Amino acid sequence: MSLEVLVFILFNGLLYGMFLFMLSSGLTLIFGMMGILNFAHASFFMIGAYLGYQISIYSNFWLALIFSPIIVGLMGGMIEKYGLRNIHKYGHIAELLFTFGLFYIIEELVQLIWGKSPVPYKVPEFLNFPLLEISGMSYPAYSMFRLVLSLLIFLAIYRILAKTKTGLIIKASLTNPNMVAALGHNVPRVFSQVFGFGCALAGLAGVLAGNVIGTEPAMALLLGPIVFVVVVTGGLGSIKGALVASIIIGMMQTTAVSLEFNLNNLINYFGFTVDVSSLLNHFTNLTISQLSPIVPYILLIIVLIARPRGLFGKRDV
Amino acid sequence: MKKFLLILLSISYVVFFTACEKKETKIPIKIAAIEPLSGPYAALGKDIIDGIVYSADVINKNGGINGRMIEIIPMDNAMKAEKTTELLRKAIDEGIRFITQGGGSNHALNIIKQLEKYNARNPGREILFLNNSAVTTSFTNKDCTFFHFRFDSNVDMKVAGLVSHMSRDNTVKKVYLFNQNYVYGQTFRKTAKRMLEKNAPNIEIVGDELIQPFGKVQDFNPYITKIKLSGADTILTGNWGPDAYRLVNTLKDSGVKVKLFGIYISQPSGMAAMGKNLLFNDVVVVKEFNPTNADDPEWYKEYEKGHLASKGYTPDADRFRFMLEMFKGAIEKSNSFEPKDIAYALEGMEGRSVDGGKVIMRKDDHQIHFDMQALLLSEKNDQSIIYRDKDFDMSYVNVGNIPVKDITLNTSCNMKRP
Repeated sequence: MSLEVLVFILFNGLLYGMFLFMLSSGLTLIFGMMGILNFAHASFFMIGAYLGYQISIYSNFWLALIFSPIIVGLMGGMIEKYGLRNIHKYGHIAELLFTFGLFYIIEELVQLIWGKSPVPYKVPEFLNFPLLEISGMSYPAYSMFRLVLSLLIFLAIYRILAKTKTGLIIKASLTNPNMVAALGHNVPRVFSQVFGFGCALAGLAGVLAGNVIGTEPAMALLLGPIVFVVVVTGGLGSIKGALVASIIIGMMQTTAVSLEFNLNNLINYFGFTVDVSSLLNHFTNLTISQLSPIVPYILLIIVLIARPRGLFGKRDV
Repeated sequence: MKKFLLILLSISYVVFFTACEKKETKIPIKIAAIEPLSGPYAALGKDIIDGIVYSADVINKNGGINGRMIEIIPMDNAMKAEKTTELLRKAIDEGIRFITQGGGSNHALNIIKQLEKYNARNPGREILFLNNSAVTTSFTNKDCTFFHFRFDSNVDMKVAGLVSHMSRDNTVKKVYLFNQNYVYGQTFRKTAKRMLEKNAPNIEIVGDELIQPFGKVQDFNPYITKIKLSGADTILTGNWGPDAYRLVNTLKDSGVKVKLFGIYISQPSGMAAMGKNLLFNDVVVVKEFNPTNADDPEWYKEYEKGHLASKGYTPDADRFRFMLEMFKGAIEKSNSFEPKDIAYALEGMEGRSVDGGKVIMRKDDHQIHFDMQALLLSEKNDQSIIYRDKDFDMSYVNVGNIPVKDITLNTSCNMKRP
């Protein structure tokens, strides 16, 4: 492997990893801290992308970047207050079913409003120029912008949770709600706010990513599973864990894509060959590159077996 | 009184049955169209239904078929296999004798297999399957059946067309195969490899990638890096949907210059996600006609105008039109509404094409054959690509004709005729 390839892997891996982090940071709060199995998290991401598109048509990208997450956050807060809060007492299954239904409602609503095919949500022109070039591959300014912004999101959440009084109340409300209530804080409102904030983060990710991966009704379905992998691997309730897990998954997947190695190579190395027409060849012929999509899930299973609380988790899944 | 009642009864009897008799000829010819109309693939199904419904409307406006109108009955399978099975049963129960489907080869195979059994067990009540877009090659080879007709060129024919065009383009030297890892993408890849080696030996295959299909890959950067490092000057891809537009967009973002050859890259339903990014690299697709040709014959201009007025876009595929026109022709030729007679009449039947040349249903395997064109995406010239009221300000330019002989392939079909 040449140095060139290594640089590409590191850089592409970092970019993809930070995309995953942006997507799952909100779920770290919702599922990781509050313990709500929010199946519809990626749906809020999708709404964020569509709102980003709609607002940037009427005004500009910056306003979309500010208002789209706020709207999604308010929606999330409302859904928590009028929906999830009543269901919470029936346990995880009820929550899961509620958000499962929510997922389909949002998918069909989005199709009703914006149609069934992708909308032309484009990268803003003033950020759409190649910023740096690595041996023939250029990277647009917009992807650097996203990288910086996702780092800022991490720092902000980390600081709020670790250093401020708000963070203290949030963490305490989740672990000792009765005690916090006794101290005069409105615990249900804290829950709504955290849920809304988590949704707003998903919305922000939507605004930033929708114009790169394409804004279409199927995007929530496709991103649904991966966010859970990040949160569980990183450890429930740990924002640091989500960051590390995202980057690890990003790097692993990018590395896997670059490897054209398969079992046949190994078998040939030992002087044997597999018959091309045999059934066995179907398996030994698979390259690591072809297996790259399942890499995150393999990681998930390993983590669940070896360390059920994830990399930086404080409690078991 | 009794007599009076008896007379009344007999009169009403006569009136009732003459009315029925009269109605009999006016009953519409029902065609069930099983496509995804909800869920993530709804855009695909909607386009197919639109094309078929409009085509039927035109026939109906001109008097229908032997006095009867066509009625298209859209059925939503949400791209789920079990729903397709259920809807097919429903159509059969309702006495519908004609089925059309195209979105998803797995669904088409499902229908072929079920109808094969049903038709064998119910002679005289057979059901005809008009396959409008499912392109897996085996349907007109080892899986061929008498009651299945395909009105789209199959994967092998499309790839043959692409390779025949590429072999004449001397800027193509190093090609990278980039496909989706499921039955269609795998067939595309295998056929492309075989045909490149056979028909274009001077073109070198420098890469061969199968990716997780249907938009599950969000980040194309690592793949583009690989393509760049391989030194490829051309990408040959069967990708469609997000797997196509993310490829096009990421190539643009990373400034990698290659030619793109494909079938479905410029599908109008995905075009909004790419816009002018499509013009950054040369994108060439093969089609049965040029959708933006301004020199169409008068009758087609009228057809196109009507489609634009009623559906909000111009047809991107011509096959829905000639499918129903040939269906009409077969009924008129056989003077029968029985699927079996229609099927016999369809064999070897010719349809009319827009840009000249022939459209012919091969008797041996029930596979349509037509002249194809290699089309390059370009800035708007005469007529632009319009999709659902959005003008993309781009056109197709014909960069090569692919005569039907270049895509005529042998078939392994051994048709059993009833």
